[in-house]
This record gives sequence, C-alpha cells and structure tokens, in this order.
Amino acid sequence: MSLWVDQYRPRSLEELHYHHELSNRLRSLASSGDFPHMLFYGPSGAGKKTRITCTLKKLFGPGVEKLKIDQRIFLSPSKRKLEVNIVQSNFHIEITPSEAGNYDRVVIQELLKEIAQTQQVDLNAKQRFKVVIINEADSLSRDAQAALRRTMEKYMSNMRIILCANSTSRLIAPIKSRCLLMRVAAPNAEDMQTVMQHVSKRVGFDLPPDVALKIIEDSGGNLRKAILCLEALKMQSPDLSGALTIAKPDWETYCHKVADLIISEQSPARVMEVRQKFYELLSHCIPPATILKTVADRVVERVDDAIKADVMHWAAIYEVRMRIGNKKIYHLEAWVVKVMSLYKHFFYGMDLTEFD
Amino acid sequence: MGSTVANKSTANGSAKPKARASLPAKMVVDSEEEAAPRTQKRKKPSALVSSSEEDVAPRIQKRKKPSALISSSEDDELKPPSPPKKKLAIASGSSSKPKARASLPAKTRKDDDDDFEVVSSDEDTPVISSDEDEPKAKGKPKAPSQKTVKKKAKEDGEDGSKEKGKSKTEEPKKTNWAAMKAAKARGPVAPGSKSVPDGEDNCLMGLSFVFTGELSSFSRDEAVDIAKRFGGRVVGQPSSKTNYVVLGEEAGPSKLKAIEKHGLKTLNEDQFLNLIATRKGNGKGLDEKTKKKMEKEQKAIRDAAKEMEKNEKEARTSSSKITDPSSQLWTTRYAPKSLKEICGNKNVVEKLELWLKDWPQSYKNSFKKPGKNGMNMYRAVLISGSPGIGKTTSAHLCAKLAGYTPIELNASDTRSKKLVENGMNINNRSLDSFITGSKSASDSESSLITDRTCLIMDEVDGMSAGDRGGVGALNALIKKTKIPIICIANDRQAQKLKPLMSTTYSLTFQKPQASMIRSRILSIVYREKMKIPANVIDQLIAGAQSDIRQVLNILSTVKLQSDSLSFDEGKELSKMNEKYTIMSPFDLTSKILGPYLFSHTARESLGDKMELYFQDHSFVPLFIQENYLKSEPARTRNEQGPEKELKRLMLMDQAASSISDGDLVDGMIHGPEQHWSLMPLHAVCSTIRPASFVYGTGVHFGGPNSMSFPQWLGQNSKQNKLNRQLGDVQVRMRLKVSGDKNEIRQSYIPALHPHIVRPLVEEGSGAVDAIIEHMDEYYLSKDDWDTIVELGVGEQKDELILKKVSAATKTAFTRKYNSSEHPIPFHKATDLGKAPKKLVAEQVPDLEEAFDFDEIVDEASDDEKNTQDNEDISHDKLIQTSKKKGAMTKGKTKK
Repeated sequence: MSLWVDQYRPRSLEELHYHHELSNRLRSLASSGDFPHMLFYGPSGAGKKTRITCTLKKLFGPGVEKLKIDQRIFLSPSKRKLEVNIVQSNFHIEITPSEAGNYDRVVIQELLKEIAQTQQVDLNAKQRFKVVIINEADSLSRDAQAALRRTMEKYMSNMRIILCANSTSRLIAPIKSRCLLMRVAAPNAEDMQTVMQHVSKRVGFDLPPDVALKIIEDSGGNLRKAILCLEALKMQSPDLSGALTIAKPDWETYCHKVADLIISEQSPARVMEVRQKFYELLSHCIPPATILKTVADRVVERVDDAIKADVMHWAAIYEVRMRIGNKKIYHLEAWVVKVMSLYKHFFYGMDLTEFD
Repeated sequence: MGSTVANKSTANGSAKPKARASLPAKMVVDSEEEAAPRTQKRKKPSALVSSSEEDVAPRIQKRKKPSALISSSEDDELKPPSPPKKKLAIASGSSSKPKARASLPAKTRKDDDDDFEVVSSDEDTPVISSDEDEPKAKGKPKAPSQKTVKKKAKEDGEDGSKEKGKSKTEEPKKTNWAAMKAAKARGPVAPGSKSVPDGEDNCLMGLSFVFTGELSSFSRDEAVDIAKRFGGRVVGQPSSKTNYVVLGEEAGPSKLKAIEKHGLKTLNEDQFLNLIATRKGNGKGLDEKTKKKMEKEQKAIRDAAKEMEKNEKEARTSSSKITDPSSQLWTTRYAPKSLKEICGNKNVVEKLELWLKDWPQSYKNSFKKPGKNGMNMYRAVLISGSPGIGKTTSAHLCAKLAGYTPIELNASDTRSKKLVENGMNINNRSLDSFITGSKSASDSESSLITDRTCLIMDEVDGMSAGDRGGVGALNALIKKTKIPIICIANDRQAQKLKPLMSTTYSLTFQKPQASMIRSRILSIVYREKMKIPANVIDQLIAGAQSDIRQVLNILSTVKLQSDSLSFDEGKELSKMNEKYTIMSPFDLTSKILGPYLFSHTARESLGDKMELYFQDHSFVPLFIQENYLKSEPARTRNEQGPEKELKRLMLMDQAASSISDGDLVDGMIHGPEQHWSLMPLHAVCSTIRPASFVYGTGVHFGGPNSMSFPQWLGQNSKQNKLNRQLGDVQVRMRLKVSGDKNEIRQSYIPALHPHIVRPLVEEGSGAVDAIIEHMDEYYLSKDDWDTIVELGVGEQKDELILKKVSAATKTAFTRKYNSSEHPIPFHKATDLGKAPKKLVAEQVPDLEEAFDFDEIVDEASDDEKNTQDNEDISHDKLIQTSKKKGAMTKGKTKK
C-alpha cells in the first residue's frame, strides 16, 4: 500500500481541508472559461501540487489523472544528449526543466513550442487549451525564463502555463507579471490538526491531540513531513501512547552531528572533519542551502546569546555566496571556519573578562 | 662569545664617539648637496637617516646615543676577524663589511680616504655595499669595479669632498647597526639587512654545506648562492661528509636528527658570513687530502684538454676534407669521439653498443634469443630523454664503434608513410646521389645501404602532421628490417609513439649529474683558454638542467666577448637561458603553501606567485583548498597558547573567505558570460591570498598532514551520479508522489526506509514479499532500491545497512524480485532504442498497463493486479528471460 501521504491526498478542490478561499477562487477560475497563466508558490509541503492537480481535474475532468511518463531526448548546442522526463495526460503536460541543468532553455524552447503549436485534438475536451506545468520554476535559468516570456503571450490560445515554485524571488519580473500569482501558504497548526485527524480517521485509529501537536511542532509547517512522520510514529508504536520520540530523518541527525562537532572543538583538524561530513551530505543529494540552514539552526541553539546573531548573519551571507558560486563546499567551509573563529574568540574573550 | 663581547664593547664604545665628534661640522657642508643621493640609497627605515635634513645639534645627540648601545653588536661581528685580517681587507680596498668595521679610530686617516672613494662615485647604489642595507646580490659584483674609480677619485679629491665622504659613510654605518640591533630584538630581520662579506675567492672550496630552516636575512636560494659563489658545495641532506650545517629558524627535524647523528658542525647565519670573511681563499685553508684531490682533478682536466687537442690534430692530418675546427660549432667540435667521453648514462650507452654488436647474430637467430640484456629480441631501440644530453651523439658514436655506417633521418626530412616505405628500401641502395663521398656524412642520400648500415631515426616524436602515417610505416619497417634501427625521441610516453612501444626496446637517458658534466666542460674551457671557475660551471649546468649542448652554446657565446665569467654573470646567463619547467600540482602546492614563498626573505613578486597558479590553473586552486588547513602557519610563530590558536583560526578564516571569494570569481569565469579576463583575479583570490595567510611548514608529502589530492573532484562526480539516480527514482515515483527530487530525498527516503529497507535488516528474507509490494506501489525497481540505500547518510549509510543484511537475504530478495512481474511506469528512451527486439515485444503489454493505469485506482484493484501478475508469472514465458536477468543482477550485487 502507498504511504498515507499519497493514499489520502485530496483529489478534488472540494476535498481540500484548508485555504478554502483559495480553493473557491480556483474553482471559479476553472469554471469561468477564462483561465490565466498561473504561478503557484509557497513552501514545500504546503499543498501546491495537490491544488494544481485538483484545479486540472476541475478543468478537464477525471481524464487528467490518466498519467503517463515519457522520456524525451534533446540535443544541447554542444550535441550532448539531455534526457528529460515528461509526465503527461491528454490534457496537460508536466516538465521539470531543471533536470537539464544549464540547458533548460533548450527544453523550454523546443518543448513548449511543440506543444503550443498543436491544437487540442480531442474534440470532447472541455477546454480548447492544454496546460503546461513547469516544476521547480525558481531554478529555471535566466535564459530559460527569458525564453518563456514571449511564448506565454504568443501561444495563449493553445496553451496555459502553470509555474510551481518555492519562492518568487528568483523569477524575473516579466514572468511574474504575466501570471496570476497564487500563494499557497504553509498550513497553520489547526489546519494541520484537521488534516491529520482526517487521515487518522480514514486509516481507522484515534490520534491523541497531544501527539498531533508534537508532530506539528516538529514538522515546521510541512504537511507532507507531518503525515509521513505520523505514519512512522504509528509504525513505531501502534497505540501512539507513552513517551514518543519523533525519529528525525537521517540527514537531519547527521547535520546536527556536524553542528555538535563545530561547537565541541575549533581546530583545523576539526574543520577537515567537518568538510568530510559536508562532502558526505552533499554527495548524497542534500541541497547545500538545507545543510547550511539545518546546521546553523542547531549551532545557534547551542551557542551563547551574544554570538547568535553573528552566526546567523554569516550563514545568510554564505548562503547568498553559495547561490552565486559554483563550489558549494567552499562557502560551507568558509562559514564553518568563521563560526569557529567567532566562537573561540568569544570563548576566550569571556575567559579574560572573568579574570578581570 | 657573549663574555668577550662585553669586554670589547667598552673599548670600542669609548673609541667611537671620538671619530664621530668631527661629524657635525662636515655634515653641514654636505647635507644639502648630498641629500638626494643619500635618501635614495638608504632603504632601511631608520630614524637617523631622516635626520640628515634637520638641525645639526639634535642630530649629534641622536647619533651619540645609539653608538653606545650599538657597540656590543658591532663587536659581535668584529671579534672573530683578527687584526691583520682587517688590514688586509683594507689594503685590498674592498668596500664590504669587514673593511667597514676596520674603519675605527686607529686607522682613521686611511679609512677616511676609503670612505671618500665610496662617496665620489655615489650615484651608484652598489657602492654602498658597505652599508648593510644593500641587497648583497647586487652590491657584490659591482664593488670591485668601483674600486678603481674610487682610487682615482681619491687622488684628485680635494679636502672638502674628502670630509664629505667621511661623514657620509660613517653615518649610515652607524644607523645600520642600530637598525640591526633593533631588528634582532624584534625578531626576523628585514631581507637584505646583512651584506655578504667580501671573502677571498673560493674561500669555501672543498667544504660542503647543508642549509636548513629559514635564515633571518637571506632567502634560502640566496644563501645557497653565496655558498656556491665562494666555491662551497651545497647538498640537500646532511651526511657524515657534510662540513657545516647552516641552521636557520625552524630547522627541519629530520635534518636536526642527522646533525646529531653525524656530529656535524652547525653555523648560524652570522657565523656563516664570518666563515666567508675569515677563511683563506683558493684552497689555502684546506687539508692535504682535499688539496691533493683537487690537484688531481685539475691535472685530469688538463690531460683531457691535451688529449682533445691531440685528437683534433690527428683528425686534421688524417683527412684534409674536415673543416677547420675553429669554424665549427663547439657542440660539434667537442662532441665526444669515444665512449669514454660521453658524460653520464654509461650503462645505457654500453647496452646500446652491445646490442649493435650483437645485431647480425640476433638477426641470424631471427630475434629469438634474448641475450644478456634481453635486448636481442628487438630489431630496434627507442632512446628517450630530455634534450641536450647526448642521445644523438651516443647513437652515432655507438653505431660507428660497432662498425656500422649510420644513416640519420631527422625532423628535417619528410618522413611520411609513403616516403618511409619507399625511400628506405633497405635491401638495396637507397638513393643514388653521392654528394661529398665522405664517410662521416650520414645522410641517407649519400651512402650505400649495406648490411653494415644502421638507421638512426632522430626526433621520431617530431613526426607531425606532414608525416602522415610515418610512425605506422616506421613501425612496419621495424618489424621486418634487416639493419638495426635506432629511434630517438624526447618523450617516450607520447601518444604518437604508442605503436613503437611493443616493437622497440626502450632505453632511457637520464639527465647526467652536474659532477659528470663538470670535468668535461672544464677541459673544454681549459682548451679554449678561458678562465671560468668550477662553481660557475656548476651554476650554468644547473641552470641549463644538465643540457650539455646549451652549456656549450652559452660558453661559446661568452668566449666571443671575454675569457672569463664571474659567478654572477654566470647566474645571469643561466637565468636568461632558463628553461620553463612545468611543475606538478603537488609540487606547486607545496611550494605555494610552503614556508618560503611568502616569508620575509622571499624575493618573488606577485607576478611570480601568480605564475605558479597559471602553471595549472584548474588544479592549483583545488589543491590549495584541499590542503590549506594542513600547514602550520608561519604567522602564528611568535604566539603561544590560546593566542596561537586564536590567531590560527583567524588566519584560516581569512584564507577560507578568500577561497570563497575565489569561487565567486570562478563562477563569473565559467558562467554564461565567460569573463576569462578575470583569471588573474581568480589567481589571487583562490590561491595567492589564502596561501599568504596560512603559509608555513607542514604541507608535505607523507606524514600525518600529508598533502592530498582534491576530494572535490571525486565527491562532485559522486554527487552527480547519485543526483542522476535520484532523478530516476523521482520519475518513477512521480505517478504517485507530487514532490520534487529534494522532497523525495529529504522526506520520502527516510519515510520509505522503515518500509522497504529496515525489514530486510530486522526480519531477513521473510520480509521480502512485503518489501516488493511496497516497491511496486511506487514503481521502484531493484536498482532504485539500491539507490535509496546508497543515498542514506549517518546511521543509514549504505555500507552499514548492507553489512547488516545477510548475503542469503540479499540473494533471496534479488531472486524474488527478478522472478516476479512489476509495474513499469515507462521505458527509458535509450532503453527503447537499444533493447533487443524480442524483449521489447514482450514488454510492451507492461507498458500499456502502466499507461492505462486507472485514475481511481484504489488499493484493492492494485493488489488484485499484483496478485494477478504473480499468478501469471508461473506459466509465463518471461520467466526464462527474467531468470537470466536475475543471474546478472546477482553478479552485480555480489560486487
């Protein structure tokens, strides 16, 4: 059986548990026949994709859930083969251009034009247009975004685009202005409570509210994480009683270990140890920004108030540099050394004042 | 030394002020006129110098104070030279330290004159080599030439200027001592703060030195140069034969051990300089044994030269056709005429000769008997080695000595496939034209090819685009040749020469040691009636990297102008002819992060440092980043305890943030806009600046902190690989899951772990069915399962997990998985293209099934489908193919 997250995912706009206003708007947009380009944004686990699917269903009927995956090969300008996976139904197509890395522009140009230039063949289709969903739109390169601009206007009659992103900050303004922005905020605690109770009811057990609260607190507004966590917890102790410890994912515990290493000793040897761990995390596909955030959070928890601000300040600076630069590890390491130096200075500074 | 110093200091202290008392009056005279040149000369920041434009009165005061203070330090250096020595120095009119020191009250008169001389030629900075602030390397050579000028000036000098001179030179002398004293107290002295004493020629002859650690005012190279200039021998590692070890700060521990072991004499910097100043020159201070040895050497050189002359004469009488030797290049004129004369590589040359001698015999045996060196199996040899070490010469010589007539083809001949095939028809005469008829001319066009002919293919790695197919044809030729072929190349590893590897015996010529070449060159020099000391020759040889040809060419050029060559001229010459050497990234890193490049005695400019980066601009920054934490920063040397740690962390921080800057620049260089003009900035940010913070000892080969190859490369490709695999997993899960790759990794993989991995650890093969069911739910294949395990970190690291799963369970899992049918979400485009027809035909239904995947699939229908699949399998043809597959994957998992 599937995991609960996928099993009990709402399939229509009516089933959604929170952001009712948003659902209503989507419903009316879908039924109005004047459907705009849209940009869904919000943190992961807030329900963007779920809402998109529900809207599509509303637009085209159950046919959109007949998905198939296709793999297309594109040739980069340097004749390198790029494999791009496409998920599509008869009415929509979903792409993740960031799979093609730096060549996402090629994918956007070729694929979108191809779709846009063909009209809907199915005469029974509810809408005349197809929908293209672009995932991870915030990791689109500038070139790709520029390629998108004109296409969005030119082929309006045949195609609508739905962008899905975590934040709008890395989208260029022309794109934003061509879309209807849909913010899917993270659910608040009550919303999450409702959803979790709903899930537990569907599964067929009683969820004690305090356990739910604990999970909610731990998940930080990520509903997917919360439900996955609930299931793990349920597996761990079927009656959900007694002292429950929420198992952290492997990478998170690992990040915490790194933070502890930083706090416990500040020396070149330790930096090299930390570098090793960073490499381990990076090579196992944990995004560098996530690593930095998790480690920094943990470090901040454990250092003195006086340097908390500094630690975060430098984390922010190095996160920016990481995004601009190529080799993430350099910036992670620079941050670690900075923090170590700060910490040590503070440590000895305190020593001296005490002696005074 | 300390106690005697104290005694003397009093005496000197009292004497000094007297001499200075006469200053103020004279100073007034010269202060204005001389202001400009003087400031120019005085590089050292000294309070006293600046005072020259001030009032007279305060100046005296200032000057007197330091003199008292200084006297002791002055003594320090004064004491060792014995009084007669000083006189000697003065008499010789040298303008260096010992003399300067001698200029004390007792000899004021004489001294004044000397000093005056110095000033009279005061536009030249080198004159002040008596000032300690002159970079000695420059000051040294010019001093003698100025001498004569000085003498003259002295003769027609008038009183006023005399006084001027005196006051002038004495002043800097004083300031220097003060500065030196201060510098000593401060720690490391500024570079060039000490001048090299003007010792007698070859005063260090017969002595061998080892330098270790960092000297306070000379860089390592300079110190080595000084030792060599005075005829000393400098070796890398101390042994029992070493005479002196010059110790600097932070001497290498292994060297210290060796010193202890062999009971070697050690010198500090000052003692070393003293040794130069006091030791008698030209071998006078040597013991009998070394003297004899040196005499013997000298005699050998003379003999060799005589022999050369004799040979030349003989050659001239024997054949009138030979051109006059004086019109020949030195390289031909002094080319070795016998095996004995070849410098170095004796072993290889002997092998070559033997092979040539045995060749006819080997040919009869059709190259079946390996012979003594195993060379007789080959019809050809490939000689390789760097240029100018006598490869071609040896080949010709060996061929002649073995009774062959060499035919040489080199890069000046076209050697394309066609020509090699046709032009070298080795069974007949090659080409008919006889031009000179001389036997020694070795052109293919001028001689008959007989069975006593030997083909020398010179510069085979120079067979370029014009010689298309040449190497292949040559190789074919080698396989059936009836005469010996000698191929010569510089780089044996060249891709072009691959075909020759198997058909030729490889002989590698090493660069001969300087000592091997030295005597030969010395004989030539003697024969040419030039006067060039051995240490200069050594210098040239080292500069040319044992390229004999280059050394000879340099010398023949020198001969055009003069018959002698001083050490510094030699140095300049060899620097001019310096070869550009390419260092490996490891060497570069140890140089960049090493203690010398950034030390205060280093002479490298920023440009020189950046040059190191540009030697390998893609690797050097990676190496620096990998290794910058491993050094013991020299900048923390003066700190102790916690301060040291703090300082070190601070330096590391600066270095790390500079490396981070460097990455940003790199992003701009390799980004879409390709700002290649930023390379120099990248050099500074990524390499030079970080190294300038953390340079120091510790980055070595071997040891606990040994330099390592950048992990980044490996880790990056691992990351890319896992990222791609994760992408595959995500696509497969996509039909069920809405998350992107990161969500899959961060949320789903930890969540799936208890369902599809842990049961295998805890329950063993019993859990296999449940696991496969879970996997099918998400369309995961066995490969994806492997990926998921591989992606774990920490406690879920793949090694840890896989260790806990017994081999039996693993095989059970694999077998079970392969023997059952699984839903497939899609086929990879590449698979579809490549897969054999049969397989595709059979799997198409699967595909369809996935396509038609009903939207309202609930568990029940899914389960049904699965069970159906399972039932189907038992009487499905597919089983056979899948079993094969199973065997394959089994093999994989075992790996």
